[in-house]
Amino acid sequence: MNFKHKYMFLLPGLLVLLAILIFPIGFTVRLSLSSWDSFYPGLDFIGLENYIRLFTDDSRFWEAFGRLSLLSLTTVFLQYIIGFSLALLVWKEIRFQRLFRVLFLIPMMTTPVIMTVVWRTFFNESLGPVNDFFNLFGMQPLWLSSEILSKFTVVLVEVWQWTPFMFLLLLAGLLSLPKEPYLAASIDGAGPVRTFVYVTFPLMAPISIGAIIIRLIEASKIMDTVYVLTSGGPGTSTETSSFYIFIKGLREFQFGYSAALSITYLVVMIISFTVIAKILVKMMVRGE
Amino acid sequence: MTLIASNLSIKYERNFHLNDVSFSMSKGEIYTIIGRTLAGKTTLLKTIAGLISPDSGGLAFDGHDFGSIPVWKREIAMVYQQFINYPHLTVYQNVAFPLKQRGIQKTEIHRRVKAALSQVGLGGFGDRKIQALSGGQQQRVALARSLVKEAKIVLLDEPLVNLDYKLREQLREEFRGIFDTKASEDSILIYSSTDPVEAMQLGGQILVMDEGRILQQASAKEIYENPISAKVSQITNDPAMNLFDGRIEDGCIVLSPEIKFNLPSHFNGLPQGDFTFGLRAAAISLDDNGFPFSVELSEISGSETFLHVRHEGLKIVGLLNLVQNFPVGGKVSIRFDTKHLYAFARDGRLKSSPYGGLQ
Repeated sequence: MNFKHKYMFLLPGLLVLLAILIFPIGFTVRLSLSSWDSFYPGLDFIGLENYIRLFTDDSRFWEAFGRLSLLSLTTVFLQYIIGFSLALLVWKEIRFQRLFRVLFLIPMMTTPVIMTVVWRTFFNESLGPVNDFFNLFGMQPLWLSSEILSKFTVVLVEVWQWTPFMFLLLLAGLLSLPKEPYLAASIDGAGPVRTFVYVTFPLMAPISIGAIIIRLIEASKIMDTVYVLTSGGPGTSTETSSFYIFIKGLREFQFGYSAALSITYLVVMIISFTVIAKILVKMMVRGE
Repeated sequence: MTLIASNLSIKYERNFHLNDVSFSMSKGEIYTIIGRTLAGKTTLLKTIAGLISPDSGGLAFDGHDFGSIPVWKREIAMVYQQFINYPHLTVYQNVAFPLKQRGIQKTEIHRRVKAALSQVGLGGFGDRKIQALSGGQQQRVALARSLVKEAKIVLLDEPLVNLDYKLREQLREEFRGIFDTKASEDSILIYSSTDPVEAMQLGGQILVMDEGRILQQASAKEIYENPISAKVSQITNDPAMNLFDGRIEDGCIVLSPEIKFNLPSHFNGLPQGDFTFGLRAAAISLDDNGFPFSVELSEISGSETFLHVRHEGLKIVGLLNLVQNFPVGGKVSIRFDTKHLYAFARDGRLKSSPYGGLQ
């Protein structure tokens, strides 16, 4: 076969890659160097003006970024703890094991936006059943309009929705663990707690790191929950980076500026995840 | 310090994995459990370790009930036939693991781990990852982990079975040295094997197991000389002892109309009648004045030849010195060294042995 013909087979894949990845990123970079908005549509060139504005005159983006970090780290941490606990629970032979496995997965099978609407109704401060219960004790917590409680509600919904994903990955990991180290550990005098600390947890480290990174990437895009539940409010107390970029781009139509926000967000995220992955490897993989 | 098992039984569905097993073991002794695959050896070791609970019967160690003590609190070390280690830890961390669980001081852990690693020939391997070691080295790590505990009971479940021939031979010799030191200390060493040669080499006390039962417990010498049944003779010999039905009639042993020979002197006390006779492969030889047999197969093993021959319904295996080739279907003359003949009753019980057992 002619050497050049080999490249013909790569062409469809390369074209798809170009269409769905390289072109959008390239276009967004170019867009971020323009002042394209609803008044002046067009790819003019304003240099790094949008970026200078972002770093010098837009504390709201960085506050949203800080909030996003808090929300995503908290939700993923809780998802990991609860998901690991549930996986450990149904890992060993227990009664109704299969039923529990299916039950734990149900939240993940539901449509996130619809479930968030259900949660919003649930936490409605005057009509929701949660406050009906709290009213019995003379309390009426502001689940969606208090600065702190609204964050808690977002975290709760995210944890409820995505813990099953963590559970599924960790259970698959637990089921694939070799049995032999457990035999050795019991003979070597390690009880159930020490066996978990010295055998299960370190053996699960690579799977745990993978699961945490996947969920952190997903959680950092948190948008639909915030949009439906609080619309970023009260004020900007639940506004996350992606929601802020959405507001700048699709509500205020500052396409050029929101493109600069997106590119900055992408770069910061890549750096953050690289650092987080390295920290996780150091923390979780013993003896490396 | 004794380990006493009383009537241990474990049954899965209809099959007994342990069937009324009783024994007594004392410190300073090596016990080899020998039996074929599925004889119940591993089940017995796991029961002693506490990894399996017996359906009935009990274990007592030093006069205390062993059954109520959880696995991790029993002072036991175990080496398995698979190379079982902690894959995420280094060699040093693997060997130190049982000591860390006991909360022993760091300096003492360091001293004991170093000693155990050098004892198994892995002195400079402490920092290596388990996956970076060969099978033999991994098994040495497991052995070092069992030694470092200074456990009261050390269980070795066919530890050499997954190693290649050369390494098995080498480790077997090293084991003997290590075990002698260990057993002379304060431990009961229990070694399980399917290999009669291994069992005989290790010496000590041998427990012969089959279908979950202990058929015989005696010294290696006693088992070799006086196996209490035809089954024991087969399990403890490689190749298995030749067994053939015949009669004692008018001072002769009659195996077939053509194969008759004089009664050896050690059979003089036996009555006339039907018996099952046993003869080790090494007691079969070629002799021009022997009985006519046809060759079924000849196998060369090292510097010896296993010769499988047949005369009508009578099939025997002989072990001949040196490498010899025999064409399949060829004729050979076989001599039975009757000085080494065993007589078993038709139900398998030993009636007479060349070493003076029973009559």
